Amino acid sequence: MLWKDKYNLGVEQIDAQHRELFRRVSDFLEVLRSSSSWEERVGKVNETLSFMKDYVITHFRDEEAYQIQIGYPEYDAHKQTHDDMVSYVAQFAAEYEQKGYDEKLIQQFAGKLLAWLIHHVAADDQKIGAYAKKKGV
Amino acid sequence: MENVLYKPFFNATREVFQLMLDISNITDKPLCVDGVCYPAGNVDIAIRVIGDMEGMVVYHFPKETSLKIVKIMSGGMEFNEVDEFVASAMGEIANIISGNVMSALSTQDITCDILPPEFIAPETIADASAKYKFVSGMQICSEIGDIDLNILLNVKSGAEKA
Ligand SMILES: [Fe+2]
Ligand SMILES: [Fe+2]
Repeated sequence: MLWKDKYNLGVEQIDAQHRELFRRVSDFLEVLRSSSSWEERVGKVNETLSFMKDYVITHFRDEEAYQIQIGYPEYDAHKQTHDDMVSYVAQFAAEYEQKGYDEKLIQQFAGKLLAWLIHHVAADDQKIGAYAKKKGV
Repeated sequence: MENVLYKPFFNATREVFQLMLDISNITDKPLCVDGVCYPAGNVDIAIRVIGDMEGMVVYHFPKETSLKIVKIMSGGMEFNEVDEFVASAMGEIANIISGNVMSALSTQDITCDILPPEFIAPETIADASAKYKFVSGMQICSEIGDIDLNILLNVKSGAEKA
């Protein structure tokens, strides 16, 4: 189980999205780390990868909209962090496709993504919740 | 300068362990970098630093500790080898800790940037230590093993205010 209750911000829409995002990451990791041969699972890996990738974009967009809505003062820095991640994901996806779905490359991508996501949600996103609470919105 | 760096690195590591791994009990002890010699098969990561200070911080994650960290982060999946996934996850953790230190230092008017993690051969640490003026190290001890941080930095002339 990837999700932890301590990741909740107290903003229902964002919390629900985070839970969904972690669910998709979890599905992706499950297939990626299973022991069957790469040929057997690459199709499913790519499917769960794109399912997760799409949601990352959706979630970032909605979370940024929420920050604007509440007048979050660290919006610019937070958006920059999101944008950097989106361009890392895009760069990886292009290389992964170009190299014909190389397993080592996607394992490397997934390790970084997992650590990044946990830290982003457990640290950076929490500050949005704290600000919302302080402002009473 | 040594003290200026030691505490922020320890604090950043403690915070990251707490937030990402739910490990709140960590302790530190100073480490002598000179002549340090690690066996292969572990994860050694260099984060290069540029700006008011230049050099690198080398993180040494023992194999077993790395495997435990990814197990915790993945919600209990088993990992047996340091593969691309594990190494890359450790690289990101080193990147996060170092990034947090750089932000903490910027409030003291020390402006530095970090470069993406590089995986290095363990002997690089001993080779490099002679080139740097501020060399210090710490071992971070926790229930999942001990992580070594070797800090190897020069202060750019004109920036030596700390
Ligand atoms: Fe988020
Ligand atoms: Fe975010």
